[in-house]
Amino acid sequence: MARLLSALGVGALFGLGLVLSGMTDTLRVQGWLDVFGSWDPTLAFVLGGAILPMAIAWRVAARRPAAALGTPYPGPTGSHLDRGLVIGSLLFGAGWALAGLCPGPAMASLSFGGTGGLVFLLAMAAGMMLAPAVRARLNGPMGRRKSKMDIRRLSDGYAVSPQIAPSDMAALKAAGFARVVCNRPDAENPAELQSAAMKAAAAAAGLDYVYNPVTPGQMNEGNVAEQAKALAGQGPTFAYCASGNRSSQVWALARAGQDSADALIAAGARFGYNLEPLRDRLR
Amino acid sequence: MVMEGWTLADGLRGLAGGLMIGAAASAYLLINGRIMGASGILGGLLDGSGRATASERLALIAGLVGAPALVALAGHAPPTHLTGALAIVIVAGLLVGLGTRLANGCTSGHGVCGISRLSIRGIVATLLYLLSGAVTMVLARHVWGII
Repeated sequence: MARLLSALGVGALFGLGLVLSGMTDTLRVQGWLDVFGSWDPTLAFVLGGAILPMAIAWRVAARRPAAALGTPYPGPTGSHLDRGLVIGSLLFGAGWALAGLCPGPAMASLSFGGTGGLVFLLAMAAGMMLAPAVRARLNGPMGRRKSKMDIRRLSDGYAVSPQIAPSDMAALKAAGFARVVCNRPDAENPAELQSAAMKAAAAAAGLDYVYNPVTPGQMNEGNVAEQAKALAGQGPTFAYCASGNRSSQVWALARAGQDSADALIAAGARFGYNLEPLRDRLR
Repeated sequence: MVMEGWTLADGLRGLAGGLMIGAAASAYLLINGRIMGASGILGGLLDGSGRATASERLALIAGLVGAPALVALAGHAPPTHLTGALAIVIVAGLLVGLGTRLANGCTSGHGVCGISRLSIRGIVATLLYLLSGAVTMVLARHVWGII
């Protein structure tokens, strides 16, 4: 509840700041981007004003183990410049100029933005829903065989799939993952899919590789701790086992206490992983 | 050339609003342990990737939409001046939605939260969307005259 009230207050302050600063005035935003015409410098003040307290907040965060409500701070984002970041930012900038709205102000001005504002918001939502398909195409090996991997994103920073092959590592790297966790014991696999071969392929693709074997029905605290350690690392984590089931279970247990049991179980259910039997341990 | 009619008062109002945005982002980081990025918060709800934190996302959006709505109810909402052709508004919305999700962030996520921690990705993204915005403005306003 504290978490929701805090989020509500944050949203309110964010919205009022956007309105006061002039960010919901599309002419002002377009004026800011009109560098070669008649330039409106207001947004430099807005950005400066916003970055200042946030820079202090990052410094405070660096000296504490976790946020006030117990969530670990988001890890560093790294310096990996993928195709999505470059192309996405260029597309966003063009749209920002055409309408003078970006996502925050589009939501903040919903109540007084009229039909145009509503149409913009709906089109923006549609664009957001198109993104996963476009991203998959951008990151896919262009013109080469499509990977047969079925990446199932359980959360922003974690995805699972059934058994993968060494040749899938490049696609995982391109999809933005920082590390691959194997939750399938080597005893279940032929030599070419065992951890030694997978680790070499991961290293060649520039991915970290963690071998955290989970024996069916015998998942232990060590497995959970190892998965949690991988999740705490910088960048998104990809994990696999035979079906993705063990990788989902060990993830849910590692997230227990941070996300609600209902949310974790729902995330698994979306891809057919039944986490319901773990409910008591997810509280 | 700075536009005619711009005064320091506009800048100071921008600064005050910016400080509020920064304070909100700081609180979200230090209390909830999350990044206040508008596109990520909404996009995660729409594509399902943020289902595990859906209630927190919805609460933030409720505040973000609701607080300005109260201001509007009190009759103090400033005009948005969004008067362009509907076709352009739709294209712009699609570009903003798709672009911010591909780039994993927008003005708040990359611009405010990223630059303030000197994130390379945040800085590069911000430079790219500013560049693209400025070029689009030259073409759309001064060459083609469509906005």
